[in-house]
Amino acid sequence: METFYFIFQQALYFSIPLLIVALGGMFSEKSGVVNIALEGIMVIGAFCGIFFINVMQKIGAFASTPQLLFVLALLVGGLAGMLYASLLAFASVNMKADQTIGGTALNLLSVALVVFIARTMNNVKQIYFDQQVFTIKEFPVLSKIPVIGDMFFKNAYLSTYLGIIILLVAIVVLKKTRFGLRLSACGEHPHAAQSLGVNVYRMRWAGVLISGALGGIGGVSYIIPTTVSFGGTVSGYGFLALAVMIFGQWKPLRIFFSAIFFGFFSAIAFAYFKIDFLNNLNILHKGDFFKMVPYIATMIILAFTSKKSRAPKAEGIPFDPGAR
Amino acid sequence: MDYIIEMLHITKEFPGVKANDDVTLQLKKGEIHALLGENGAGKSTLMSILFGLYQPDAGEIRVRGEKVKIKDPNDANDLGIGMVHQHFKLVENFTVLDNILLGHEPIKGLFIDREKAREKILSLSSTYKLHVDPDALIEDISVGMQQRVEILKMLYRDNEILIFDEPTAVLTPQEIDELMEIMKNLVKEGKSIIFISHKLNEIMKVSDRCTVLRRGKLIGTVETAKTSIPELSRMMVGRDIQFKVDKKPAQPGEVVLEVENLTVVSPYSQKNVVNDVSFKVRKGEIVCLAGIEGNGQSEIIYAISGMMKAASGRIVLNGEDITHRNIRYRNDHGISHVPEDRQKYGLILDYNLAYNLALKQYHLPRFQKLGFLKKDAIKAYAEQLIGQYDIRAGQGGATIARSMSGGNQQKAIIAREIDKGSDLLVAVQVTRGLDVGAIEYIHSQIVKERDKGKAVLLVSLEIDEVLSLSDRILVMYEGRIVAELDPEKTDEHELGLYMTGGKEGTNNG
Amino acid sequence: MAENSFAKKFIPKIKDFFRELPKKNSFKVFVSVLISILIGLLVGLLILLISNPSTAFRAFGGILAGSFGDPKSVSVGLGDLLYFATPILLTGLSVGFAFKTGLFNIGASGQFMVGQFAALMLAFYGTGFGRFQWVVAVLGGILAGALWGFIPGFFKAVFNVNEVITSIMFNYIGMFLTNMLIKSNRVIFNETRHETRNIAAQAFLPKLGLDKIFPGSRADIGFLLAVLAAIVIYIVLNKTKFGFELKGVGYNRHASRYAGINEKKAIILSMAIAGALAGMGGALKMLAPGVHYIGNTLSAEEVLAAEGFNGIPVALLGLSNPIGIIFSALFITHLQRGGFYVQSVIMIEIIDIIIGVIIYFSAFSLAIRTFFAKIVQKRKMEAELEAENPEPKGGKA
Repeated sequence: METFYFIFQQALYFSIPLLIVALGGMFSEKSGVVNIALEGIMVIGAFCGIFFINVMQKIGAFASTPQLLFVLALLVGGLAGMLYASLLAFASVNMKADQTIGGTALNLLSVALVVFIARTMNNVKQIYFDQQVFTIKEFPVLSKIPVIGDMFFKNAYLSTYLGIIILLVAIVVLKKTRFGLRLSACGEHPHAAQSLGVNVYRMRWAGVLISGALGGIGGVSYIIPTTVSFGGTVSGYGFLALAVMIFGQWKPLRIFFSAIFFGFFSAIAFAYFKIDFLNNLNILHKGDFFKMVPYIATMIILAFTSKKSRAPKAEGIPFDPGAR
Repeated sequence: MDYIIEMLHITKEFPGVKANDDVTLQLKKGEIHALLGENGAGKSTLMSILFGLYQPDAGEIRVRGEKVKIKDPNDANDLGIGMVHQHFKLVENFTVLDNILLGHEPIKGLFIDREKAREKILSLSSTYKLHVDPDALIEDISVGMQQRVEILKMLYRDNEILIFDEPTAVLTPQEIDELMEIMKNLVKEGKSIIFISHKLNEIMKVSDRCTVLRRGKLIGTVETAKTSIPELSRMMVGRDIQFKVDKKPAQPGEVVLEVENLTVVSPYSQKNVVNDVSFKVRKGEIVCLAGIEGNGQSEIIYAISGMMKAASGRIVLNGEDITHRNIRYRNDHGISHVPEDRQKYGLILDYNLAYNLALKQYHLPRFQKLGFLKKDAIKAYAEQLIGQYDIRAGQGGATIARSMSGGNQQKAIIAREIDKGSDLLVAVQVTRGLDVGAIEYIHSQIVKERDKGKAVLLVSLEIDEVLSLSDRILVMYEGRIVAELDPEKTDEHELGLYMTGGKEGTNNG
Repeated sequence: MAENSFAKKFIPKIKDFFRELPKKNSFKVFVSVLISILIGLLVGLLILLISNPSTAFRAFGGILAGSFGDPKSVSVGLGDLLYFATPILLTGLSVGFAFKTGLFNIGASGQFMVGQFAALMLAFYGTGFGRFQWVVAVLGGILAGALWGFIPGFFKAVFNVNEVITSIMFNYIGMFLTNMLIKSNRVIFNETRHETRNIAAQAFLPKLGLDKIFPGSRADIGFLLAVLAAIVIYIVLNKTKFGFELKGVGYNRHASRYAGINEKKAIILSMAIAGALAGMGGALKMLAPGVHYIGNTLSAEEVLAAEGFNGIPVALLGLSNPIGIIFSALFITHLQRGGFYVQSVIMIEIIDIIIGVIIYFSAFSLAIRTFFAKIVQKRKMEAELEAENPEPKGGKA
């Protein structure tokens, strides 16, 4: 049972960032802008957030309130991601550029920029931070609850709870607010929205900026629970988030379940040695094998679910107000 | 004279063309005013200016006597102007309710108050007799209901001035009559209406006055009661239009196409869009599948051409069962197909004209050897067709298809399909969006092919075209053939009745 | 006089060419690409100035001088230019070819890696092929790449899975798989250095005299083979029925289907060919003899092959035209070599930043050009409509 709790806790470390970033991608694509720069946005967000923590920890600030530091780091990451995503917004919405190319450019740039700055400041590419202070070992009452307490309230991180909150907000915004309705209209039939007075450009900017903010927050929340340093990469998580978004058919609750699913596989890749059955499999270099599993699993599922896949109808098509 | 809208001396230029050249249109309060003109005359542009989608280069607009500037649809809306577009602007996977309230959502706190909107919509719906189902998805409802949703959008925003852009293009005769009633009701409640059309009989039926445009210029404004169809058509085109197609009686020969118990299933809804349909087409006759859009005509054509799979049944061409053959086989063995969407299916717009003219034959030994294209042969063939069919293209065969006008693109497709010499010519909505001259030309080409002994299968939504061009009419309703009519012996009302399922006739194609 | 009439004939033609040139769409796109390059370089210069002003201009100069700045000699620099350009020329062809069919091959990296791996394996185990071992190894790389390209094509054609996602997934699957396979092979794998052993000389690519033209450099026939591939692709795209169909599918898949083209076959074949090209790039890199005829090794690092991604800017700058790609591959390599030579002064990431900026700007300058081209075409279209309808055809009173 211990193993199960451990795996579950690990799974959350992977699922929650996936969830947050996939929701970000969803907002962008629902407004009509394909965003494959999620990987790059995560890198930028993670870098800024972790760098912030690194500096703050060095000067001893927030030593007594590490969770506050965490929150601030998330904000910094989110803001950085948003600023970076504005490059995509500008290119896609105002300049009507090919969104896939623009996104690829941002992915390439992000890693180069981040390593460049890291090495300029620190001489090395890795940025270290003290991870332990952020771990919430236990909650006063909640972790005593049988089963649930072990799963959700031990060895947890603030980002987990934040992720759930973001999910709930996303669900409500899309279903019940003006903004959500108008955003969705822009991705399905922007000319209809325009003829009813919706400013499609502004909505698409909003969608992309939200994906930037969530991508940045996702980047920070990916790094903190899983490692002690940031080395300029998020190992393809931004792309996995895209797959989660597609698998979740651009719907928040489905995205949530997809993220949990993939999180599990990723967790197993890291912790397989704790599961006897997996550990005893006769495969050399199981580590690499299990690292492949989330990707292979994604492919299999996509194969079965993509026949009826229904992306926002107008996504990827630059909005031309003059066309009738 | 109390004019509620005045568009005075409007000029609007796009690169290379004057869409509106010093046009003046004045709408009286409470009138139904028709805006008449051919395709490309400038009607849609003028109304788009009124609705705020474009800005005029010169001229002014007055609403209720005051000069205004309409920068975008919001301004138009604030002035009480609303528009139902020719191609509906409805979000397909939203509900009727959400489509109506989009952009104008009532709020309770942070959230949309859908209940309040629902109340208002239901009340408007009953006042104006516009029946809709608020919770249905747009993709699931009929075209007629979709149009009512568009009208409700305007009424929901308390628009006083309602613009209808070619509203009857997608309706049956009965629905057209209903729409005319609806328009008269709206006017009774104090609204003023402009409706754009090129259908002369509708304009005569329902409008008070009519403004005619031709090639961007104002020809005149007349009172409908004091004019006539021939006069309007003369104003619209500059000469008399021939409405009836000149043709000798048909002399049908042997059967070329036989469709037996064809059933086609929709990939989206899993329902039968074509339900056990059987008919024959013979040499030397023109058969037309008539019906409201969406009743299975398109799918029958797709099944015949191979673009959709038949779920059951047989398609036999010249005695050969081609039901399971691929598209290329059918193209090569006697089917020519002029598709319903010329830009989506008929042409590869980014290729030049020559490649497009060779599109169905490039793989034949005539145009390729050992996998390499014979570019000279392709070029020569293009020049031949361009001359024969008078296709206007700036750089001849090297013209990029995208830069050609709609009429010439269609001419190119027709040239390609006719010149193939296939036994069966299938043409879907072949004159959609074309001006009168091109329409007359294409009609004459079709009759010529029929007289040469080809079998012609048409699909048309234009009742006039159906009645004047075909030798036999098969009416489709909900995936079945509900009637076979002789154009000489029927009229548009009987046709309309069958098209809406009002009558069930015999089904023996 | 004879001279005069020669001049009379050709000078007006040349004048016409230059007068018409600015109006041509392809020229406009070319100019916009040049502008993106300039902007990219300027941004690079700016970053250099900000991070280390004292060395900025020297570094920038070094980057621009590129392969001419090799400390050993210019001919070494040029030879190395050809050598380093080879992999990205092929990945550029790979990406560009897929673009022509309307597909985005972001999986060139995975295809490149499996190509490397296949070549490596054949280098170690294919000694039975004697003198032709390198040929077999290159073919192995091509086939492996073709398989890795086939997969996203297949998933798209049959299951309607977006090829971008599949390609990305298979980049990672390819990386983990090859790492796993080389690590588990005790014979090949060198534990201490976390990479394979060097491949033996008998599998090397021949130099074919290039070591005489560019003595002391790494040049081998790889570049010539890559150029050959480019020419073959050019012919396929522009002169064959197959190329006609592929481009047709890329431009308009509906009309292509209507014309009887087997769209699924086209997508699958296109991705397979794209994969084959990238795989060839990997194989050529693996089998290079280098300067001192010490064989290459394959590392088991968890890093996606950069050459795969660098193929994207090569394809974009080369406008997806095989001949253009040859030049853009050389250009980008030129900059990269320049960055390498001044490494002591600046960081190599600068080059990636410059390239990233170039793509970013080329993405939307391309869009602006297309936008204007559409307006020009619309204008011509309307003018024609007017011109052709003074008297409608077939009019009867």
